[in-house]
This record gives sequence, C-alpha cells and structure tokens, in this order.
Amino acid sequence: MTVQAQPVSVSAEAGISGTASASADTRAHLTSATTALALSVQDRMLRAARSHLTGLGFTELLPPILGPVTDPGVRGAKQVDIDYYGHRYKLMTSAILYKQASLLTFERIFYVAPNIRLEPLETANTGRHLTEFHQLDVEAAGTSRAEAMELAEKLVAHMITAVCANLGDRIAAAGRDTAELLRSATTPFDRTSHAEACARLRAIGHSQSPDAELDWAGEAILSRQHDRPLFITDYPKGSRGFYDREREDRPGILENFDLLLPGGFGELISGSRRENRYREIVTRIRETGENPAKYAWYLGVLRDGLPASSGFGIGVERLTRFLAGLDSVAQATSFPKRAGVLAP
Amino acid sequence: MTGRIAAPGFPIEEVRARAREGISQLFPPTEQYGTTAFGADPGHGAGTDRGGAGEAAGGDPLDALRLAPPMFMPRRLDKLIELGREPLFSDVEVETVIGGFRSPLPLFLPALGSTRLADAGLGAAIARQAGRLGLPLVIGENVVPVKGYRQAASDTGSSLAARIREYSTQLPEGLGGVAVQQSTQDADAEVWNLVYSDPVADDLLASGRLAFELKVGQGAKPGLGGMTMVAGGDATALAKWFTLDRVSGSEEGLLRSASPGTFTEEILCRQVQLMRNNYPRARIWVKLFPGRDVGKAARVAWDAGADAVTVDGAEAGTGWAPTAFLEQVGLPLGACLRQIGSGRGCLLATGRMWEGARVVKALALGARAAGLGRAALLAADEDPEDGLVRLVRCLTLEIQLLVSAMGKYACHEVSGEDLWPQVVPACTDAADDARIDSPVVRSLS
Repeated sequence: MTVQAQPVSVSAEAGISGTASASADTRAHLTSATTALALSVQDRMLRAARSHLTGLGFTELLPPILGPVTDPGVRGAKQVDIDYYGHRYKLMTSAILYKQASLLTFERIFYVAPNIRLEPLETANTGRHLTEFHQLDVEAAGTSRAEAMELAEKLVAHMITAVCANLGDRIAAAGRDTAELLRSATTPFDRTSHAEACARLRAIGHSQSPDAELDWAGEAILSRQHDRPLFITDYPKGSRGFYDREREDRPGILENFDLLLPGGFGELISGSRRENRYREIVTRIRETGENPAKYAWYLGVLRDGLPASSGFGIGVERLTRFLAGLDSVAQATSFPKRAGVLAP
Repeated sequence: MTGRIAAPGFPIEEVRARAREGISQLFPPTEQYGTTAFGADPGHGAGTDRGGAGEAAGGDPLDALRLAPPMFMPRRLDKLIELGREPLFSDVEVETVIGGFRSPLPLFLPALGSTRLADAGLGAAIARQAGRLGLPLVIGENVVPVKGYRQAASDTGSSLAARIREYSTQLPEGLGGVAVQQSTQDADAEVWNLVYSDPVADDLLASGRLAFELKVGQGAKPGLGGMTMVAGGDATALAKWFTLDRVSGSEEGLLRSASPGTFTEEILCRQVQLMRNNYPRARIWVKLFPGRDVGKAARVAWDAGADAVTVDGAEAGTGWAPTAFLEQVGLPLGACLRQIGSGRGCLLATGRMWEGARVVKALALGARAAGLGRAALLAADEDPEDGLVRLVRCLTLEIQLLVSAMGKYACHEVSGEDLWPQVVPACTDAADDARIDSPVVRSLS
C-alpha cells in the first residue's frame, strides 16, 4: 500500500495539563502500541545515524539549549525568552550559530538537539509541527553544498534501510509498506530548484510566491508526486535566515536546500552552505530586519574567523513519522506539544 | 554680565539660550514633554519661507494647492443617471480598502508609539474609538520594549496586547484591522513573532485583519530613530534597548534614542520579502520617512510585495524631536506624494491631517487614505469616549462635500485635475534618480 500523510484533527482541549482527562490522555499515549513502535523506530534510526556519522569521522557534541540569541530564520514561530539572571536569554529554536562556532573544536560535528519554537496556531493540525522537537544537526567544515547534500541523502538512506532491516516486520504489521520505504532509500534522491518547484505548482493552479518558501500545501503536493525524497535547491533570499550563503553567480539566490519526503510527508531537512564572512553576515542580518548588536557573541567569533562549512538539520520526529507511517509527528514523541495546546 | 551685542536679523535669543543652557536647547522646552504633540510650525522656523507656490524649503505644497471644482461634470451626470435623481454629497462613496483592510472611510490611525502622550489611557481610548468606527489602526514601534507586551490586571491599556484587545472587541464584522509596527529596537523584542502566535490576535489573523508594518522612519525626524524623554529612574530598564543622553538638568532629563536602522534598496526589499515569507497570513505595510528618495523607496517596497506604503510628511507630529528636524528636515508631504505618484500600489499619507480638504488633496495626489495622528490624540484627549468619533464624523461630511464638489462620487476618483495649480503626478514607471530632485508640479494653464 502507499502511505499518504494526512493532517490530523486535534481538539484544542485535548491534553490540558493537570486535568484528569489530560492524565488519561498521557497514559493512553504512553502505553499505546503505536507510541512504542514509533519510539522504537526513532531509537533505531538515531542509532543508525550515530553509527554512520561517527564512521565518517564526525564527533557527537551535546547541544546548548539556551543562549542570548538563537536562530531567527524560523517562519512565523515565536522564540521563548527566559530571565537569565536579569538578562533575556532564549531557548534554542535551532543550534545553527553554535554548530558553526563548534567547528573551531572539531571539523565535523553533529548534535541530536532539542528545539523549541512556539509555532503559529494554524500549525496545530498540520501533522508536521510540534513546538518541542529534535533535530539531528550536522555540520562539516570545508564541505560544499553538493557534498552536504550527498552526505544527507546517504545518511537518510542509511537510517531508512537500518530501520527496515531491524524493525521491518513490526512496521509492516502496522501497515507500512517496507518495499516502498526501501525504494525511497534509493540514491541519488530527486532534485529540483525552488524556481522550478514554484513553476510546477503554479502550472497546476497552486498560487506559490516565487519569493517565499514553499507553503505547506505546496510542499505536500510536490511530496506526493515523488516516490523518493526530493531535494529543492536555491531558495530566494528573503525566505531564509542570514546564515545561508548567497550564490556568487546568482545574486538573490541562496546556496541552500531542503529535502522533502515522498508521499505527502513534506519537509524533512533544511541545509545550506554557510555564510562565514563577517561583512556579509552583518548585512544579511539587516536584511532580515534585525539589529546585529544582539548577535554580539557570534559576530565577535565570526570577525576573528570561522571555517567555511555546510550543514543541515533533520527533523527527528518527522523522519520517525515517515518511517512508521504515522498520521502526525505528535505520535512520534512521548510528550507531544502542539501549537496552542497545553500538554505535559 | 556680558555686553549685549547687537546683530540685526540674527536669532540672538536662540543663540544666547544655547550658550546658556547647552544641548537642552536643541529640543522644545523639556517641561512640554508629555503634554505637547510637536510638529513643524508653518509660521515659525528658518525653513518656512514659503515662496509663491509653496515650493521653497519647508513650504507645504498641499497648503499651497487649492481644490478646484469644474463647471462641467460628466461624472455627476453619470451618477444622476445611475440614481435617477440629482446626486447629493451624501451619495459620495467613502468606503475603501487600506493595505488589505476594508475601511468605511479613507482614514486610518497611524502609530502613536511609546511616547508619554499615548499613555494615560489615550492610546487605549483611540484604539477603542477606532475599533467602533471600523478604521484600521497602527500600533506603534517600541511599545513592547517600553510598555511590555502583556501586563497584569492593572494594565491601563498601554501595552500592545491591551491595545489590540481594546480595538478588536469594538470592531464591526469585516471592517478595519490592526497593523503592528516594528522598528529595529522592536526586532530585538521580536514583536511580530509574539503577535503572530498569540491568541489575542487570532481572530484578526483568521479574518485577514492583521498587518505588520515595517517602520523605516518617521516624518518629524527623518533619518533618526524614535526619541522620548525619560526620567532617571526608568533609565536602567531602558538602557539595554536604547541610547540615553542627559540633555537637561531636570529630573526627566534623559533623551532616549532608538536606532533608526540601516537600509539599502536590497535590505528593504529583502525585509519585506522575509515578512511575507514568515507571516503569510498577515498583510505587510511599510512606513517611510519623507526622504529625498521616497519615490524609489515606495517602489522598492511595492515591488517586494508590500500591501501598503505609508509616507509620513515632514509636517507630521511627534512626541519629541529636535527642533532642527521639526523645522528644516525632510520633504513636505505634498512633495513626497508627487514623487511617489499614483497608481503603483496602496499609498497612505500622514502629516498634519485633521480636516477634509487636506485629506482630499492627498487623495488627489494618489493617496488611498490619510492618517490621523495628532488630531486623533487631541480628539481622544478632549473626550476619551466619543471625541475621535465626532472628529471622524466631521471629516466624513467634509470629504463627501469636497469630493462631490469635484463632480465625483467615489473618493478614489479625485485626481490631480481637481487641484489648482493642476498637478501631473510623477510618472512612476519611468521615474528614476534623475527625476527625484525635479519638481513635477506644473501649471497647465
């Protein structure tokens, strides 16, 4: 069978912390066979990733979870402030700035990093958004975008095959077509540019701004048209954070990529060749409407030099959802938190 | 005491005051802060030598223009045929769309900011009355860093969330909308992200009535960021956001200056695109100061996808600004409107708007709507419950009278031909840098 991702309907009242029904919901979720399978898949997937990456000379580091600034390049999501001895600190929306800086210690690193993004309320029912989630964050010095994409596809393919090899019977019993999964692990993955993707969407009547990220519906449409993951490259400036490097041969276009999963499961990865030049970073920060002064620590490190690099982040719960064929990422974590829903 | 040197024609008292008092003299008297809405005084200052057509530096071309009804009115005939009776001024259609929001009138409430003038319930009173009227409301920059986003039950209405609530609870179905402004300082507080995911704005967002306004600058102090005066006791909390300078010896002697933010064409374009990308359900507005390249800046903003561009003329009001800026810096609103021209996108005009003729002149020069700043403050101060509502009623009647006198029956129909001397707006498609310094008003007579 072909598994197609479906948006799930979630009651806003579900899972209110401290109520009897919330406790019952939490118990039901933690004891369900679906949760056990999803978390087993996740465990196997991360073990495969660690084995693959360390075999390639990567060092796993423990990610920071708070700092004076965090990744601002997050579409419409609110950052969480905390009072840090009288100063405003942030919980990490992503550890991108720290990944870059950590290349001063090791040339190839990865994290399994928790991220907090208070996503817009309309994401509560997309099946793809959690306010608390994890990324498998990978960064490598001296690496081009093409090499980062190759690394990403081999890593994803390895995780898919490892899960199928170890848990294939269980996920098949739960209705996931493992032959289809293994087909999706065939490399190289499909590739298209953002401009081509926009043109494809517009050709079928989907209004997609050429200046913006693909909207969620557009991603789902493209994702359903492929039976293998699809790389989308060259997003326009103005659609991403300041750390994605602008192409020198094509001003206004970023040297970055997303990876969409097949079957309507949508975006799994965002990555890029990083900007590491001080002047360009400061200018790009202004283009995102921010005051560079708040990035003082990062800019200070950058001014004295950071290695050129490329890297990416893989949505751990999203890949779990795909592998286990789940309706929602909320089923791929023990304690799901959706936008606007109070939950433990 | 020193001798009294004579210097006929020279501003002796101003020079002596600066020599005596120091930098406090660069501003209006400090004791007026918090009680006065400042702006250019047409009868005062070095830049007010208004030549024959109001073209000299500081002269306001809008004041110099007259509205000029024609004798022959084919559109009145069209209206007569449509109605089957003689048209009246009350037949003028005043509803319009402002930056994506339906508005019952070509009027909106521009940002008041964090100045003390907007405190003491005035900001909330304006929000409440604007909501009743269904007029779009901009909530100003720096409100969050200064007043906070959400305050406790004692909130007097000065916080951003309180103003949104005051406004939206009064708002008629399908009308109006809130534009939340952000400047460089606000970006540190991530105001738009706060609002975008807050349940307080959810109804507005769901009904397409939330906008985010990028503030590039303001009319009363072009090229500078926001300024207010603060007391010494508030300084510690504000020091992390703003530059503080002591400009007078009084207790409230600290000048709080916000950074104006750095813009290039590329930066403005990408910021607008990023706003569209990050907040796909919100409308995007851009507020420009009356700079010499305002025409180009408006085009950049529209081309990047802005739903509205507000131009704030040099005569616009403010809570605080150096007198040099109030009197001698920036283009008058009329000059801005001529540079920008009509027909490119939704253009909003602000600057000393309070009566119908100035509003209709701005509409004739290409604006979609006019913003009531000081006028709204004064009206709400006069009567916090109904002052603004009454002022807007006056404006409505005046606008209808004036537009009908041109033989036209919709606000968007007035144009340069209704002004005297008649105005040919800048040809926007062909406009380029070379044209920016060239006056484009010419008498066709």
